[in-house]
Amino acid sequence: MKKLLLSTLCATMAFSADVLPVENRTFEQSKFIPDISLIMDASYVNRDIEDDELAHLEVPGVAHGLLGTHDHDDSSHATYNAENGFNLNYAELVLSSSVDPFFTMDGVFHFSPNGVEIEELYFTSTALGDGLRAKGGKFNSNFGYLNEQHHHSWSFNDMPLVYEAFLGMHGINETGLQLQWTAPTDTYIMLGVEVLQGENEQMFGNGSIHLSELNATNSDIDSESAPSLFIAYAKTSFDIDRTTILAGLSFASGSSRLDHSEDEESPHAFSGDSKLYGADLVIKHYFDSYSSLTWQSEWLYRDMDGTMYEDFSATTPTLTPTTKKQAGLYTQLVYTYDKSWKVGARYDTIYKNDISNSDAFAPNNMDKYSAMIEYNTSEFARFRLQYNHNRALYEDDVQQDLNTIILSANISIGAHGAHSF
Amino acid sequence: MKKYIFLTLFLPLTLLAHRTIAVSYPYIGAITKSIGGEHINTVVLAKGNWDPHFVVPRPSLISKVRNADALIMNGAQLEIGWLPPLINRAANPKTQPNAKSFLNLSQHIKLLHKPQSVDRSGGDVHPDGNPHFHLDPNNILVLAQTIKEFLISLDSKHASIYEQNFAAFKSDWEKKLTVWKEKMRLNKNKKVIQFHDNLAYFNNCYGLQSLGTIESLPGIPPSSRHTLYLIKLIKEQKPGYILHDVYHSTKTAEYIADKTGIKVVLMPHDIGALETIDDLSSLFDYLTSAIK
Repeated sequence: MKKLLLSTLCATMAFSADVLPVENRTFEQSKFIPDISLIMDASYVNRDIEDDELAHLEVPGVAHGLLGTHDHDDSSHATYNAENGFNLNYAELVLSSSVDPFFTMDGVFHFSPNGVEIEELYFTSTALGDGLRAKGGKFNSNFGYLNEQHHHSWSFNDMPLVYEAFLGMHGINETGLQLQWTAPTDTYIMLGVEVLQGENEQMFGNGSIHLSELNATNSDIDSESAPSLFIAYAKTSFDIDRTTILAGLSFASGSSRLDHSEDEESPHAFSGDSKLYGADLVIKHYFDSYSSLTWQSEWLYRDMDGTMYEDFSATTPTLTPTTKKQAGLYTQLVYTYDKSWKVGARYDTIYKNDISNSDAFAPNNMDKYSAMIEYNTSEFARFRLQYNHNRALYEDDVQQDLNTIILSANISIGAHGAHSF
Repeated sequence: MKKYIFLTLFLPLTLLAHRTIAVSYPYIGAITKSIGGEHINTVVLAKGNWDPHFVVPRPSLISKVRNADALIMNGAQLEIGWLPPLINRAANPKTQPNAKSFLNLSQHIKLLHKPQSVDRSGGDVHPDGNPHFHLDPNNILVLAQTIKEFLISLDSKHASIYEQNFAAFKSDWEKKLTVWKEKMRLNKNKKVIQFHDNLAYFNNCYGLQSLGTIESLPGIPPSSRHTLYLIKLIKEQKPGYILHDVYHSTKTAEYIADKTGIKVVLMPHDIGALETIDDLSSLFDYLTSAIK
């Protein structure tokens, strides 16, 4: 993977080197260089809980290992802003260009100290007409509002609690196909469907789980046929004078094969089907060209239905029919004072945590409060100070208060396309 | 009763019989309307009283681009921060940048101030040159002719009507050009300061000399050091006016005026920039009367 990217980089660099004047090179192709941009995100983090301890905290019944760095086999996996002190979160390389009269292509590559990831790589149709647009490849799903946006365009340094807890730090980021249709009406109405592979680490999965490797007497959990994640959404937007309202409803359904059988702490596996419902609302009021107030909220509800496998050391693991009905939301208000300054506050909660398994510890009042102030020297450089007070993390069923200060720098160079609303 | 149902069913179709052209800014809409007349329905995306560089790509604009039969933009990267995501989301083959029904006006105008080198340490520079070319009223004629040819290429059936409308627009505009020229004759070589160099073409047309801008670099908010430099410059060179756009705060300009006695004059840049500016003529009537 690394090699591939390096060679791409070298090739683009070789193309752009102006050795000979452009007109003197017969088969000169430098005019075809795609838009290239590089975005860095680095931070200074100060938490009142030690890094080692942090990685063990869980959102009971919902997710564990949300924060900090985790080691799996030989590889190490870190979330953004994982450690106390300085963090180099990522370098994001974005390449985009039209392919031919029918498609454009975009590639987003994440370089981090843990390696390189293809964050997104997709082609988009431009020639279908009738309001239709098709996309294929790996991309951020358009489920909800925040999910499609890249980390660098979020208003806070971290993901909303409910998103991160239900879907993990990348949200729904999958390989598959997307078809969207914009209605021929004055009011913006967009309908979309997506068929995705279904490999989300927190909620969706279709691979077999080899329980027999843990104990010869165990039988494996068979894989589910892929693609196994189906998404549909409807969005609408209209303006009332200087205010824009954007609202959406989303639905995702897929099989869940979640393999935590090799975890050190309480190993388990889950096999079943899951549904995720989302509602989002963004209201933005403009004072002038540079100043605005944005209220953004999303609500997520998930319904997981299947079997929990535990206790692998016994002759046969314990199988418990399990349903999880969980819901949460975030709501945030961001005031853009001018081109340079923004301030914002966010409230996060997971308020419903019903697990059929009666001995499961499942608190239903997990909250998080965040505030931020940011200064932009230009559209290309942003410095943000954020404070989080997190009351959603537990250790051994005891709630732990986590206070975090994040000072982040997000800097970009090159040709980076403007963001949509 | 049946008749009414029939009418309601087909009413949208009759509306569609007109070509709908989405345009980025109000001034383009006005020219297009003048040439297109009743055969063209124009939809303006940006508001005239806001900074043309910073338009929020509201989803309602996606629908406007999605439903358009053609798109006309200013170009020279003035729309770079907001139009591409709209075009992308709308996924309308007729509004893709290389479609025959897509017109980039900047390609038909000789741009001023094309930078020798392009680097973001110089602020928000436009690599192709200054994009505010419609503020030279002579350019309006060139743009009107370009738009006329564009409309004919889309709808040759009504070519003669577009030719007639253009001829009428031209003769009317030429008369106004003479009036404005006469009004501005005495202003030649007058020195001015601006907030952002958005009047470059207006100044060039009437021989106004722009000494500097309140923002130290394009798109970078004013700094106190640069403001002090300007105050010194104004005291030395004695320019008469700060020509100020309507969308930036006049706070710094008023501070400078307070220190130097220079006059601050609001200069609308497009139709709708001030309430009284409701068409192209009133825009230039206002601009040519602002400096006395």
